[in-house]
Amino acid sequence: MEDRHSAKQTCGGGVLFAIMFIVGLAGALVAGWWGFPQLLYSQNSQPIRFSHKVHAEAGGMECKQCHTYAASGQYVGLPSTEACGECHADETGGKSDSDKEIDKLVKTYVQPNKPIPWLTYQFQPDNVFFSHSAHTGFECVSCHPDVAKMDNPPVYYQDRLSTYSKQTMRMPGCERCHAELGVNNACYVCHK
Amino acid sequence: MGVDRRAVIGLIAGGAVGTMFTPAIWKTTGSIALWSQNWGWIPRIPKGERKYAYTTSKLCPSGSGLKVLTVDGLPLTAAGNPAHPLSQGGVSALGLSECYLLYSPARVKKPLLKTGAQFKEISWDEALGLLADKLKAAGGKAAAISGDQNGTANEVISALLAKLGCADKFFLMPSEGQAAGRAWQLMGGHGLIGYDLANADTVLALGADLFESSGATMLNARSYSAQRSSLDKPAAKLVYVGSQRTTTAYASSKWVPCLPGREAAVALGLAALLIKGGASSDAPDFADFKAFVSAGYTPDKVEALTGIKAEVLEKLAKKLTEAKKPLVVAGSEFGQGAPGAAYMAALAVNILLKRINVPGGVYATPEFPKVVDGALSRTQMASADLVKYLSSVAAGKTPAPELLITYDANPAFGLPQAPAMAKALAGAGFKAAFASFMDETAAQADLVLPASLPMERYDDVVSPYGAPFAVYSLVKPLLKKPVHDTKAACDVILAAAAKAGLALGADSFEKLLKTKVAAVAKSGGFIAGKDASPSAALAGKDVAAFSGDPWKALMEGAAYVVASPVKQDGLTLGTKTLAAALKADGAKAEDGALALTCAYKTRSGSPAVGIPAQDLTAVRDTELAGTKTVATLNAATAKMFKLEAGESIKLTGPAGEISALVALSETVMTGVVAVPMGFGHTAFDDFSKNKGQNVLAVMTATEEPATGVNSWSGSKVKIAKI
Repeated sequence: MEDRHSAKQTCGGGVLFAIMFIVGLAGALVAGWWGFPQLLYSQNSQPIRFSHKVHAEAGGMECKQCHTYAASGQYVGLPSTEACGECHADETGGKSDSDKEIDKLVKTYVQPNKPIPWLTYQFQPDNVFFSHSAHTGFECVSCHPDVAKMDNPPVYYQDRLSTYSKQTMRMPGCERCHAELGVNNACYVCHK
Repeated sequence: MGVDRRAVIGLIAGGAVGTMFTPAIWKTTGSIALWSQNWGWIPRIPKGERKYAYTTSKLCPSGSGLKVLTVDGLPLTAAGNPAHPLSQGGVSALGLSECYLLYSPARVKKPLLKTGAQFKEISWDEALGLLADKLKAAGGKAAAISGDQNGTANEVISALLAKLGCADKFFLMPSEGQAAGRAWQLMGGHGLIGYDLANADTVLALGADLFESSGATMLNARSYSAQRSSLDKPAAKLVYVGSQRTTTAYASSKWVPCLPGREAAVALGLAALLIKGGASSDAPDFADFKAFVSAGYTPDKVEALTGIKAEVLEKLAKKLTEAKKPLVVAGSEFGQGAPGAAYMAALAVNILLKRINVPGGVYATPEFPKVVDGALSRTQMASADLVKYLSSVAAGKTPAPELLITYDANPAFGLPQAPAMAKALAGAGFKAAFASFMDETAAQADLVLPASLPMERYDDVVSPYGAPFAVYSLVKPLLKKPVHDTKAACDVILAAAAKAGLALGADSFEKLLKTKVAAVAKSGGFIAGKDASPSAALAGKDVAAFSGDPWKALMEGAAYVVASPVKQDGLTLGTKTLAAALKADGAKAEDGALALTCAYKTRSGSPAVGIPAQDLTAVRDTELAGTKTVATLNAATAKMFKLEAGESIKLTGPAGEISALVALSETVMTGVVAVPMGFGHTAFDDFSKNKGQNVLAVMTATEEPATGVNSWSGSKVKIAKI
């Protein structure tokens, strides 16, 4: 009787172990894939709700009008406050959300000529030498999100530990592309 | 079926396995790795629009043109402007530091007024009012010291003193330009002195450290480089005569050891040999000169005076005779304090070699017109001797000024017999210091007026000493507004003068510079460039005169050049003056005294800016051991004084003493001790303060008979083990 009871207990214990294992596994997967990112990344929004869509489609502007190359071929990145002020020098006084956002830009940054603290999605550290001029054969959207079709800037997820944006391209991404295209992957190519 | 130990283990095991299939561990590890690269104290490179801006270095005495990398309009780093004739792409350590010094912790951020032993911040209005009151009250009992060696700022300050009735109390900080200018005047020369190294085929540097502290150093370096642009034989020979292996000595084909301060004897010895070989001159005093050098400066006598063996001197004379375009340049091994006789004797050799106003020789360059009424000319400024004035004040022979204005100058640190000079300065009634940094002079001032640095203000560079052509370039603000609450010193002086009823004819320095540029542009010169090289123009190439908007061209970093020398009439060899000045040349040195020389590098900064922070890491342990000064002697000298490497010694001069550690090196000749210059600050910031000792404290200024030039390059010290 004792042996039978013992076997029954063993069988029941195994089932319980399996169930608890699956519970633990599922819990960890949920926590790791859903909960962990919530914990690691803070969600931030841009200082101005800039609509690429309005500027690109309604305004007929091209990416390079604001994200220009310098004469040296070095990528300038973001436009200066003065560049924004060329079109948005005065407040609109309008009531729509867009007008209010333009007025915020003019009042807070353009008129006092303060730099706009844009959040850069793919900010690279100082020890990385990345030249956009060496990558002109690629479409912008090969690496960057296609913001030209977005009315609202994407949420900026910032890694609370490293302080980099979630979208920042990491070294494996660079290396993979270089390897696939047969481009030199030596350290000095990117780290000067 | 209760939860037992096995169930808990199952949960943990499941959780662990599950975690392995999520990004949690891998992502956290990666983020921690990146976090560890982001410490707050790691400097960040600013991101933004990168552009180049062009200006001229005001901190570097050689007046190099700068090509400044800016990020979103902020200066980030500087390089030499390839199109500027004094730079040709090169930049000195001082020019390079202009961007970084903007953010120096030693900067004076607000006007300061001394109350008791402390400073209190005051407004600019209060400061301006106080300065105007003091100007009115001082009247003719004011004095001013300028650290600017050539700019129009000196016209403003000297004109102000002229209005007060004391133009003779305007002084420049000592420099080679003044001593050489004074020597040239005494020989009957006109214009400013420059040396055309680019077109010379043999250059003999007598003490002058051509690539570090003497004259247009960057132009000299570029000329030297151009003459060695291929693997073929260099286009010019360079020989260095001096007591230590300076930067120029290292670059020379031969270093000839010679006691410091004895350059005149070498030049006169060479002159005697040249005359013996047939050299002559139309100078009215040639016969007297010939008799003077032939009797007093035979090779044997020169050997006794300088330590240069007779056969070496003869070889040097032969080199000069055989050369087609020889050039002799005299100076001090550390950019100041050489006797007037050294310049006169070297110029006399150049006259004998017929090397005045010819390609590859000595050029007399024209002064650009003055634009401020009552201002002194460069020649007049060179005649006033600050050391002589302060020595007289210290001795009680001359009354101390009731108002002392210092402009970009740090005389409390940068003069020979520094403690005595600082004491003389302290005796002034009211001291107003225009200073960018809290230096030793500002620290003892009553009113400190924070001066904008060159990258925050308009200014100009006018024919730095040594340039073989007249050259004018502008300094412009690269920042939209100064980093701190500072103002361009000349704007403040103009405003204070107007307030005191002494208006100088302009209400802003920028407007005054526009007037200056308009006047300069009428000199028939050209804008230097790729097809308009001043050196080529000196060599005879025709260059079209400039026509266009000069202000616009100069604001873009260009240099306006006049490559037409000043004609000389009545030039003498200066025999009488030389004979009087060198009367005591053969005097025996005091027993136990050792010749002292300084080792100067531009990376040690200057008295007015301290040691630039980024250059501190470049200071070698042969200059500074921790916070101790290192004095270098060769093995023979060390043996004479029974010294060994690493021992502590005391160097004593008439006005003070310093301590140092002994280092042994054959880069210094026997009988000489070399001490690094530029250390020993008691003010500024952590990068400059309390690092070594100020060698100028043990230097002895001696007024040279006949020339009236104070010199200290031949100082002697007593040395003792401690």
